[in-house]
Amino acid sequence: MVRMFGPGVRVLVCTAVLAAGAVATDHAQLAPAGLRLLSETSAPAIDRGLRALDPPRAPRNGGPDITMTGGEPFVPGSIIVKFRPGTSLDAQRMILAQVDGSAGRPPSYADFDIVSIDPNADPEAAARRIEAQPDVEYAQARYRVHPRFTPNDPLYAQQWNYTTLDMERAWDINQGASPAVVVAVLDSGVAYRSAVVRYQARAFTLDGVPFRSLGVVDVPFAAAPELAGPDRFVAPRDFIWDTTLPFDLDGHGTHVAGTIGQLTNNSTGVAGMAFNVRIMPVKVIASLWDLIFNSPFQGTDDVVARGIRYAADNGAHVINMSIGRTGPSAPVIREAIAYAVGRGVFVAVAAGNDFESGNRVERLAEFAPDIEGMVAVGGIGRNRERAFYSNTGSYVELVAPGGNGRIGGAPGGILQQTLDFDVVETYLRSPSRYTAPRFDSFAYDYLQGTSMAAPHVSGFAALLIQQGITSPAAIEAAMKRYAIDLGPAGRDNEYGHGLINPRASLRGLGLAR
Amino acid sequence: MKRLLICAMSAWMLGMATAAHAQTSEFMLRGFADIGSTTFTAERSFEAVLGDAGGTVWGGGVDVVLPFQIFVDLRASQYKQTGERVFLHQGQQFNLGIPTTVTVTPLTLVGGYRADFGWRIVPYAGGGIGWHRYRETSQFAEASENVDERFQGYHLLGGAEFRLARWIGTAFEAEWSTVPDALGGDANSVSKEFNETDLGGVTFRVKIVIGS
Repeated sequence: MVRMFGPGVRVLVCTAVLAAGAVATDHAQLAPAGLRLLSETSAPAIDRGLRALDPPRAPRNGGPDITMTGGEPFVPGSIIVKFRPGTSLDAQRMILAQVDGSAGRPPSYADFDIVSIDPNADPEAAARRIEAQPDVEYAQARYRVHPRFTPNDPLYAQQWNYTTLDMERAWDINQGASPAVVVAVLDSGVAYRSAVVRYQARAFTLDGVPFRSLGVVDVPFAAAPELAGPDRFVAPRDFIWDTTLPFDLDGHGTHVAGTIGQLTNNSTGVAGMAFNVRIMPVKVIASLWDLIFNSPFQGTDDVVARGIRYAADNGAHVINMSIGRTGPSAPVIREAIAYAVGRGVFVAVAAGNDFESGNRVERLAEFAPDIEGMVAVGGIGRNRERAFYSNTGSYVELVAPGGNGRIGGAPGGILQQTLDFDVVETYLRSPSRYTAPRFDSFAYDYLQGTSMAAPHVSGFAALLIQQGITSPAAIEAAMKRYAIDLGPAGRDNEYGHGLINPRASLRGLGLAR
Repeated sequence: MKRLLICAMSAWMLGMATAAHAQTSEFMLRGFADIGSTTFTAERSFEAVLGDAGGTVWGGGVDVVLPFQIFVDLRASQYKQTGERVFLHQGQQFNLGIPTTVTVTPLTLVGGYRADFGWRIVPYAGGGIGWHRYRETSQFAEASENVDERFQGYHLLGGAEFRLARWIGTAFEAEWSTVPDALGGDANSVSKEFNETDLGGVTFRVKIVIGS
């Protein structure tokens, strides 16, 4: 995995290390050579964000019950009427008789009446008729007031990406999907549980600087406080260590999972797109620590292909792949994606961050135009323009916020909770200060890359599935149909069909509008 | 609805067999109420969103019979149905669970001829112009996303009336109407998807006529 550090922004380029030559086995092991699970639990996670002492709470799930109300913007069978002061009761009765109306007891805390009318009558017409009377100050239908779902997460205001996508109005329609929808995160793992794991840290050389062996190290893990919840994670799988323990030793996968399903409206931290879904952590990328600990596999094409098939076979509805590579084509991954889509799984893939390095073809994303139900996602900044790193090409189908630190500095990135890089990337210190990492400390970090754009689309797909669009091809069609055209008119190689437009897609088609 | 129509038709036939014949007078001013079943020309659009290509229509109005057996009707009616918004893709329909209510309120003016030759049955036929108010409201919609528009249409109708008594009669009537270019104008609509633009349709109705 290649990382670039911009001014004040942690830049995660999604191009993953997909070294060749790894050998896969079919059997998952709990503790293969080189990894020993010492404890199922560890000390509580350390949250180094703004609200470190707040424990996570389950998100509120109080959305409107759409099956109980009609489509009218008002309540039928009654209207609101205010008579002018001094209007006699007899006069009021005569006025209301024009619409066969009758006033009940005045409601509390009100200087108006609620007037019952025929349930089949048009309340707007009745109100107009009543309002025309000189003794009436005003009359109106009882219009429904809709919630404007604004998450109460304190750092939500810094998540410009959701404002850009008009997510508050989209969440009015669909509040974060439901646990019935499973999104697989094929990445560096996810901080999904507590444990203490014993590794052997071998000596290595990084950028020409030698680092000593740390010998046996006991490494603590914890679930990201802003991700974890009862039954939040399903069918975890690690294809790097060939276990069922896909620990994130990097932070990339945890950040990506946060954009998809960060706990939301819990008065803590930040928000996520589809905050009620279940996450399937599938580790297919080896981080530097995995390599230092001598993982048996690396993130190769075959490992990724197996991860895709695993997710498809184990109940995922959406697969997010904020990973990729350049170089020769990858038919084994193409076949695996086609297999997953054929099993009803929607796939979102990062379009690549190689634009300023030759804009080479992103091999995992390049299949997207040929597979209905898979989309390649480019990144935009908060100015709604293509981010400097985002690949262009015929395979770019949609764009979503990926962040751009060159526009507005650090807050131009995408903010989610992830591992505290200060205690993860100890190899960035001098060799004398190099220590074992810990993966139980968390912070809110701005990252940028098409890695950050793709999970917006995956979360969006989860919302569409919950709303009723269940076919991968139809999900892609719904995304493209309502995408906001950016750049030159029509589809283009920079923005594809445009910026995803969740609210419009969730609303779909009416009879006449 | 079908059962209701069959009952009404049976009652009408029974009445035809037993009631005394009475020829209409030269001038009559009457009121009527009716219930009917309509099938919209934009069948696929209505079926996609509302689950049915048509439905029940309630109405009423006034009927003036003039010399030379000419009649003029002014009639208001309403069709109202709630369904849900959808997404269509390659012949597949996905229901989105967002309630949508469609209300069609035609106001029609009809002129025609009553073949009143002193028989028990008085056949009639006519045609006219209509003003159709179309409203569509959806949950979560902003005001501009709802529809409240009026369109002009034309129609032809025919039927037969039987007078049950001096002040009351019943009639069975069929109407064909066209309301061109009322639908299919918005890209965000199933009517556009199906290229259905006409808000008209075919309606069968039973009327109760009061007055002489």
